[in-house]
Amino acid sequence: MSNNNDLKSLDLTVGDVFTPNPRLKARNVSVFYGDNKAIDNVTIDIGNKEVISFIGPSGCGKSTFLRCFNRMNDTIDSCIVKGEITIDNENIYDKKIDVVPLRARIGMVFQKPNPFPKSIYDNVAYGPRIHGLSENKDHLDGIVEESLKRAGLWEEVSDRLDSAGTGLSGGQQQRLCIARAIAVSPEVILMDEPCSALDPIATAKIEELIHELGNDYSIVIVTHSMQQAARVSKRTAYFHLGKLIEVGRTKDIFTRPQHHKTEAYISGKIG
Amino acid sequence: MENTHISSSFDKDLNKLNDNLLKLGNTALDQFEKCINNFGTQNLEEIKTVINSDKILDDLDDKVQKYGFEIIALRAPQAADLRRIIVALKIATIFERIGDYSRNISNRTKLLIDLQYTDLPGVNIGKMGQKTQTMFEDVLDAYINEDDKLAVKIRNSDVKIDKMHTEYYLEIISHMQRKKNFAPTGAHLLFIAKNIERVADYITDVAEQIYFLVNGRVLSDHRPKADKTSLKIPN
Repeated sequence: MSNNNDLKSLDLTVGDVFTPNPRLKARNVSVFYGDNKAIDNVTIDIGNKEVISFIGPSGCGKSTFLRCFNRMNDTIDSCIVKGEITIDNENIYDKKIDVVPLRARIGMVFQKPNPFPKSIYDNVAYGPRIHGLSENKDHLDGIVEESLKRAGLWEEVSDRLDSAGTGLSGGQQQRLCIARAIAVSPEVILMDEPCSALDPIATAKIEELIHELGNDYSIVIVTHSMQQAARVSKRTAYFHLGKLIEVGRTKDIFTRPQHHKTEAYISGKIG
Repeated sequence: MENTHISSSFDKDLNKLNDNLLKLGNTALDQFEKCINNFGTQNLEEIKTVINSDKILDDLDDKVQKYGFEIIALRAPQAADLRRIIVALKIATIFERIGDYSRNISNRTKLLIDLQYTDLPGVNIGKMGQKTQTMFEDVLDAYINEDDKLAVKIRNSDVKIDKMHTEYYLEIISHMQRKKNFAPTGAHLLFIAKNIERVADYITDVAEQIYFLVNGRVLSDHRPKADKTSLKIPN
């Protein structure tokens, strides 16, 4: 590998894109919306039980790249993904791959909480039911309770599991969505600005949850909040105009980034 | 390279912090220069001016601490901005402390006048002070220009002051042993030499902070030291 100065001059990613124990591997990934190249030749590993933040200005491609990991971009007709993404060395874009179980393995939490118009219980039970993960009602009850507990919501809703999920506060709804995602025992959780619609208290609860879930899952979080990236992730990746500019330990990225574009962005000098 | 923030008021805040820090540094330098000159000229009025000016430094230090604290709280600075503020807070305290040493040297100079001190052969406090003053001037330039190479040079030049201090220490002690009624004068001379040596140490600390400011990491090698006064008993 060349040194960082060489990489900067060649317009390649600065920092170590590889991890010793990767769960997801993206290799030379480019994404096109029609003729528009949204992601340009990105290579990066997502480590096992690692929390990594993707940061960058609006339109830099970080959400587009995030959505590649569970093939959410398949839903956009004009979108073409090139390169290779593997989970545990299995190519997720292989024709044999069924996206429904894939999205159970790689769950997603969105910017705006999107509970189903169902009860709190059914929101969490939905995934285990359709994936056939529960053996009987007691088992399903156990999955729902455990998922709500892991999402830090059980104590707040245990006495009203039949109430509508949509009746919860914004922060509770987002934790319900996280409970829904973890109910199907995913390996990876993708989070696309999960706190952007939440107040500071609800945000703190989600961040604490991310911290705890990071012990069991790989978590990729897209955020516009520098402080949130600094607080929740061990590694940070900076994107700019579709390129992965720099990857590194979060504490290095926020104290002494190597690339001047990273420095400018996190210091509020480009947007 | 992008030099200004999208938020112009952030730049204004940083400039206000920096302006006050430089004012503090220049005032501390001015007082140190005066206290060294006064040691030679023994001008009592000028000595009193330095002694009474200490509050100016205290007030400027308070301003830098206040502005730095506010920027951290309100702006959540990152990377080079964060380093700049942390470094400003540290070196402001150092400049204020150098001012304390200038005042202490001035107080002792006043007492030496009362003791009718005349130059002691082999002890050139003026020369030691002027060399330290040059280090001080250079370190302010290094800060303004973010010149890490100059900062390293300043840091390595501290050994010259250490050597002078050791040399003068031995000379003063020797003279005190030979001439018993020289003890009060000798004691004040020892403290003045030690204070100048400490000022040079503080300037070295500032130089190391400048290196950190520019590079984002601390100088890894050990600082060269040559002050042996705490290691040997004079003959």
